[in-house]
This record gives sequence, structure tokens and C-alpha cells, in this order.
Amino acid sequence: MRVLLIDDHSAFRVNAQRALEAEGHDVVGTAANGESGLRAAHELDLDVVLLDVGLPDISGLEVARQLHEELPSLPVVLISTHDAGDFAELARTNGARGFLSKAELSGEALARLVAVG
Amino acid sequence: MTSLGNSQVNVVRALSASAPGDDVYAFALAAIGNSLGWQFGAAWEPDEPDEKELRCVGTWTDRTIDAAAFETVTRATVLARGEGLPGRVWEDGTAMWLAGAPRDMRLPRRQAVAASGLRTAVCFPLHSERGFLGAIEFFTSAELDADERLLATMDDLGLQVGQLLERRWAEEAAHEGAQRLRAVLEAALDCVVIIDNEGRLLEFNPSAERMFGIPADAALGREIAEVMVPPELRERHRAGLARCAAGESAGLLGTRIETEAMRADGTRFPVELAITQIKASDPPLFAGHLRDITARRRAEDELRASRARIVEAADAARRRIERDLHDGAQQHLVGVALSLRLARQKLEPDDHATARLLDDAIAELTTAADELRELARGIHPAVLVEGGLEPALRGLVARCPVPATLSGIPPQRLPAPVEVTAYFVAAEALTNVARYAQARRVEVTAELRNDVLALEIRDDGRGGADPGVGTGLRGLADRLAAIGGTLQISSDPGAGTALRAEMPCGS
Repeated sequence: MRVLLIDDHSAFRVNAQRALEAEGHDVVGTAANGESGLRAAHELDLDVVLLDVGLPDISGLEVARQLHEELPSLPVVLISTHDAGDFAELARTNGARGFLSKAELSGEALARLVAVG
Repeated sequence: MTSLGNSQVNVVRALSASAPGDDVYAFALAAIGNSLGWQFGAAWEPDEPDEKELRCVGTWTDRTIDAAAFETVTRATVLARGEGLPGRVWEDGTAMWLAGAPRDMRLPRRQAVAASGLRTAVCFPLHSERGFLGAIEFFTSAELDADERLLATMDDLGLQVGQLLERRWAEEAAHEGAQRLRAVLEAALDCVVIIDNEGRLLEFNPSAERMFGIPADAALGREIAEVMVPPELRERHRAGLARCAAGESAGLLGTRIETEAMRADGTRFPVELAITQIKASDPPLFAGHLRDITARRRAEDELRASRARIVEAADAARRRIERDLHDGAQQHLVGVALSLRLARQKLEPDDHATARLLDDAIAELTTAADELRELARGIHPAVLVEGGLEPALRGLVARCPVPATLSGIPPQRLPAPVEVTAYFVAAEALTNVARYAQARRVEVTAELRNDVLALEIRDDGRGGADPGVGTGLRGLADRLAAIGGTLQISSDPGAGTALRAEMPCGS
């Protein structure tokens, strides 16, 4: 899958990109904030957007809402270190396909969420 | 001697001319003594409160004799009922004549009488509707035979003097009461006003003058509503007064009310008001005590603002700690977890020992990450910041070990202090339900009405929760008070516990 990774933690972007690519996915773009992430989502040819909940400029939930409105066919998966129980429903009500805990991020889990939608 | 009738008239006239505060007995003794030609007089009253003995309470001497020694003895004499001339009058209840006083063995003061040259005495009781009030005796150096007409006149005088005395005492008591009331009103720090049943000001003390910026002369007689009440509150005030005047106090009388008052210059200020009806007044009179609570309100506002700042600062600190954990330790753990998984993927398929080591490390790391996440959420729940109250409470309800429902949470975002307070109220309440209530179910409901969020957590457990025990509920009450909110708990034994928090959401 072609993945856009939006997260303000550079170490996580590196680790996540490495993990996903090890499973055969292609991280075609990364962004460190919501605004550049939205721009990249419109510019790139993508299968999924991995989107951190806590971004420095715009809330990840707000970015998810905008992407759902502007690019409704593009799956968005929210990620965070926070509890999935708190955010899974919130992610869906904001137009995202689902929620993944960062510690449990894997290409397989991501693919499963995208496939469910 | 003048005629008895004239004497009687003179006595009554003299007594009537005395003013409150004058020695009534001095007037009576002088008036009677001078009118009827006696030379020494003494007034006697029963001792209060037992009324077992008579004591001399006043004397009078004309200028024709030197009765100083007898006066001294008389003032020092105490007579039991039946003893001496006044004691016998007390017992018999009628005027008595004593000729040859120095020789009368029943007269305890006979030696002093003899030494003063006094010969004849007369004594009559003072009566009123209450009964015996005392006795008045007169002495003269003349040897006089008993005069029945004079005795009858004395009895009449005793009744008239008694009634006058009684009236004068009542007047003096009333005067003293009025003086005391005046002194209290003058010295009162509170504003005190008295109004009639139509609201006209009858009393306006110096504090009221200062508080309302209007002299009493200008206020008295005017309607209180016009002098002290802001225009938009006047009709309500008049309606309340009408209810009180009609005997329907509707909770107004005897309670403290906080309202707004208006000075003569139109400026307004908050007051605490207590209204009482003055007893036995018909038509009714009402006394109002007003206290300017501007300073208290300001202090309360400052205290509330100070508490709010402390709570906000604490919340900000908690949020900062949560952010630090999220951006620091949690991200590092995530990085390590992802790296370990990657390493696990790249292992040679038959390197089982390393695989086990990595699996153990990943499991340990996951546990550490979970614990850190729980810690961070307890410090400040990120879901509250990101999603607001509804998803945050939904998470709480989902994690509650007692079956719980959630309803009525307003979907819109509320002021951050309200969201945080509501969250911690619900968290503490649900924790208490799980720990102590032995409940089968718990309901979390909320309602936003008139800019006030009411949050209620009601369980069907054993009840009997004591808000005074432990710091949790007290802490919640403090936290609510800091944002102007309130906490109510009802927890009768066996009837479950309902905790209701109300929080103003306006600016």
C-alpha cells in the first residue's frame, strides 16, 4: 500500500516507515503537521493515510474530518500512544477508517483496517 | 389646711405635671404634705422580687421641723408585713391613723419619732389594678385626733396616686425602652429601617443615612421602594410587602435575602437583607436590617477567582506532564517496540532462542507502555482535550467494572475547566461506585440547561456514603466551587447513591 505518514515525532516517522516498508508497504510521503499533511494527501497518489491524533497545528481529528470531506475514498487511520478504547469510536465519528495504537503498528494491522472499510 | 377636695386636685395636678424621669414619690409626698399640712412624709415599697418587706424609697420634710435624724432612721428601717405603721397598712389594705405615735409600742421607730418631736401619723396604701404597690405615711408634731374624712380622702388619694404611679412607671419603662432602642439604632453598624404596612419609612438610622446617601429627614415618610430599591425591583418589593402585610410572609420574614439596593445618587450595591415584623403592631410594622455586602462579594469573587486560577494552573501542569510523557517516554517506548518487532521479523526462521528473547522483551515493553498510558490518562486524559466530554465519559463508562450507561451528554465542546471538572467528578464517582457501592448498575446522565451543566451519577447500591469521610468527595466539592459549581449527594442507606454536580458554563 502507498502510505502517507503524518506525525510530528520524527523518530516515530523513521521507525514506522522502516516497519511498514519491511512488510512491503511503500511510505510515499511523510508530514510533520496537519497543514502539510493535508497538502500532501491531495498531491500524492495514496492508498491510506496514517494520521497522528495529536498534531502541533491542527488536531488529527480535524485533519481526518477534512480528508473525509475532501477525499472521501481515501482511507485514513488514526494513530496515537493513547488508549484505543478512548479513540476508536472517536476516530470513526470523525471520518477515519479506524484507530491503531502506535506500539502495535504493523503493515498487517493497517491493511486489515483498510480492508474492513 | 386647705379643703380636702382642693388638696386632692392639687396632688393629682402636681403628679401629672411631673415628667418621665422625675422622682414621682418626691412629687407625691411634697404635694400631699404641703396640701394637707403634714411635716414629714415617707414612701414605702415592697422589696422586689419577693415582696416580703417594705423599704423606704423616698422622704419629704417641710421647713418647719428638723427631721434629719428621723429621716435617717426611716430610710434604714425595713418592715415586715404587719410591722410598723406601713406594715399594718399593707396588711389591712386601708388608711390608718396613729395618734400619740411616740407612745405606740408597735411603732419600731417610736424613739426617733419622739426625738424629732413628731406626735401624729397617718398612712395609706397605694393601689392599682395590680393590687398593693406601697404605702405613704405622714407625720406631724401636732397632736391630732383621727379624722375619718381625711382617712377616706387618703384612701382615695392612695388609689389615684397608685394609678398615676403605675402609668408613670409604664411611661418610664416605655421611655427607657425607646431610649434603648434609639441608642441601639444610633450605634448599629447595620442599616436599620422601620416601615409601616404601606412601605412608608418610619425609622431611618444613621447607618442607613450613610449607606444610602440621604439624611433621615429626607427619607422619613417616603416609600422605602422609592428611597432604596432599584426601579425594576420595586413592583416585586411592593408585592412582597403586601403579602407580608396580609400575613403571608412567603418565606420573606425572618430569612436572609441577598438583593440589590440603590443609593440616592442612583448607584447600586449588593445588600443582605433581613426583615422582621414588629410584634403587637397593628397595622403591622416591619423592621429591615440591611448590610452592604460589596466587600464580601468582592472577597468571594476574588477567592473564587483565586481558586479557579489554582485549579487551572494545576490542570495546566497535569496536561504538561501528560504531554511530556506522550512526547517523551511513550514515543521512545513506541520506537523501541517497533524496532524490536522489526528485529523479530528479520530473524532467521530457526533462531528460536533469540525469537523468545525478543518476544519476551516485546511483551515486557507492551506492559510498560500500557502502564505508562494509564498513568498519563489518570494525570490528564488526552481524549478530553482532543474529543471533549462525551468520548471521555464514554471511555470512563466503558472501563467501569459495574455495568454503566451514559446519556444526555451535550455534543458540543464546553469550556475546558467545565469539561475537566465534569470528567474528574464522573471518574471519582465511578471509582467510588466500583469500590464501595456494591451496585448492580450505575447511570451517568447530563443535562445542559440555561448554561448550566448538571451531571448526575446514580447507582443502585447500598447507599450510606458519607461526604465527610475521605478526601475524594471533598476535593470534588472544592474543585466544583472553584468554577462556581455545586455538589449534592444523596445516599440514604439502602437507597443507592446519587451524586449531582452543577457547573455554570457561561463566561
